[in-house]
Amino acid sequence: MGQLNMRAVHKTYGTMEVIKGIDLDIAHGEFVVFVGPSGCGKSTLLRMIAGLEEITSGEVQIDGKRVNDLPPVKRGISMVFQSYALYPHMSVYENIAFPLRVEKMKKAELDARVRRASAILKLDERLGHKPGQLSGGQRQRVAIGRAIVREPSVFLFDEPLSNLDAALRADMRVELSKLHSELDATMIYVTHDQVEAMTMADRIVVLDGGLISQVGSPLELYHKPANLFVAGFIGNPKMNFLPVVCESSGLDGVTVRLEDGGKLRLSVAGRPGMEGQKLTLGIRPEHLTTGGGDLQLTLLPRVIERLGMQTVAYASYGKDETPFTAVLAGSAPAAVNQPLHLGIAGSDCHLFDRDGVAFERDVALTDLDPTQLLQAAS
Amino acid sequence: MIDRYRWWEYVLIYLGLGLLLVFVLAPFVEAFLVSLRPLDGLFSIPYRFVTEGMSFDAYFTMWKSVPLLWRYMLNSFFIAAAVTVLGLMAIIPASYAFSRFEFKGRNVMMGCFLAVNMVSGAVLIIPLYKVMQNLGLLNTYFAMIAPGVAFVIPTGIWLLRSYLMKIPPELEEAALVDGAGRLYTLVRVIIPVAMPGIMVVAITTFIAAYAQQFLYALTFNSVNELNPLPVGLYQFFGRQHVVWNELMAASLVGILPVLLLYVFLQKYIVAGLTAGAVKS
Repeated sequence: MGQLNMRAVHKTYGTMEVIKGIDLDIAHGEFVVFVGPSGCGKSTLLRMIAGLEEITSGEVQIDGKRVNDLPPVKRGISMVFQSYALYPHMSVYENIAFPLRVEKMKKAELDARVRRASAILKLDERLGHKPGQLSGGQRQRVAIGRAIVREPSVFLFDEPLSNLDAALRADMRVELSKLHSELDATMIYVTHDQVEAMTMADRIVVLDGGLISQVGSPLELYHKPANLFVAGFIGNPKMNFLPVVCESSGLDGVTVRLEDGGKLRLSVAGRPGMEGQKLTLGIRPEHLTTGGGDLQLTLLPRVIERLGMQTVAYASYGKDETPFTAVLAGSAPAAVNQPLHLGIAGSDCHLFDRDGVAFERDVALTDLDPTQLLQAAS
Repeated sequence: MIDRYRWWEYVLIYLGLGLLLVFVLAPFVEAFLVSLRPLDGLFSIPYRFVTEGMSFDAYFTMWKSVPLLWRYMLNSFFIAAAVTVLGLMAIIPASYAFSRFEFKGRNVMMGCFLAVNMVSGAVLIIPLYKVMQNLGLLNTYFAMIAPGVAFVIPTGIWLLRSYLMKIPPELEEAALVDGAGRLYTLVRVIIPVAMPGIMVVAITTFIAAYAQQFLYALTFNSVNELNPLPVGLYQFFGRQHVVWNELMAASLVGILPVLLLYVFLQKYIVAGLTAGAVKS
């Protein structure tokens, strides 16, 4: 129905290689988000699936059929553009009906389909309006309406929410997730906003420089980033990195020494022969605690942001003044230029080798904390 | 932007504007005054604005002295309209292609179009005459329309191309994803969206066609019934004298269609020429 496979997909513009070999399988009904920094090729990849960009080499299959040379409409996809791309001279009704008019569908069925789409998207009262008379959120819904009316098997979204304001974006995120469960369709969604990626995706594809950096569920990416890039990209504020030296390495854990001499045992699967090597320790800002922890770090806060729910301290660490961010409780006793002692736990830390590849962490990947389930049951 | 001028700056600005307007409008005023005067009041020395016996008589007598006048006016209008319609049929698809597709020689061709504009039609009138003669097309409407169309196309393409380039390509991509072909997209999406630009091109083409027809009619046509107004006006040139007042009256009535067109459509011209200049 809506199954998509990519095999060694490449894209070059002249001598510049933009997509450097993508292999990806997307099952029917999945909500997959392509995420990455500007210029990583995520939009290009989406446009290649859509049929708006030529595929230089490799193969894209939809429902087991090679679609490399097919025009968009024959691929069974539909797409929502960042700029909405509504037809300004047509009413909302005609905008939604456009794909069906192209097909020369019978009037009665066309009308029924448009009504159904507009009901799903709550656009019934707007059908007679022109796009220029609509708000940003409504225009976005019209664009989605035009995509769903043809009932394709794969939906493509190219940063559809980036033109909306923050509140509307949050609403539309929820609506899109609902739509996904209602339509039972495959959705591929491109964004640079990791909140959108984390909240909506069944699976996230992190792209970096035309290559897949990691594919996984949102929590997998958060808890088990495969490399430094993903670790730094997923999470906000981003993960702190400190240079460390490996003291001992075993399958059940690795002990590292920080530059100030403090030692920390991490619950990651070590590899043999790591002793004495320079590694990178990663710790998320939200995993720093005031007091407690396996090791105390001394930071010098430079800027403090108090958000009420939490306090964000932008600090520097050690004699190199490595930037270091900490997310603390709302009332945490932090002050600018007053040394701050924070604890880190070895079980929260990530460890990366010199090539930036992560050591596998020993954490259970469940959405729900088992201890809390037990509490709720009793 | 805030503009604050001192009073004497305003005086200077309006003086300048007034001077320009006098310069541009003086021929029209004189034409109108002449059309009102009796023939013997025309050459009075010293010059007087108001002469004795001014009336609108010329506007009535001209239809009698040149019985086919209405026919010449219709011919003028018909030729200009035909040039506009045929011109647009070539200009719209061509400028769409020039604005969207990458192809070899695109820029060279655009350069050639510009070069064609620099050659006056008068230079080519003799070779064109030979062509028309060989094809047996002399003394037809076609002989006056075809060269007109050829000369308005390059300007039209330049004008419309720059307008089409401002239409976001996402619009076409959306239509492509929705299953529409190139032609369907052009007709259903691009042309409606580009309507203000097309109007500008249509109006400039019409005015250009109205102005240029004199030369083609004079050379390629000798059938009286087919003559456009500028040639028809020669009938007011008698053997002994020129009927100036009726000539001017006929000229003013002749430019009326263009004038009206301009008044009604000028909002499109202003909107079209400035559209997209500032992001709204």
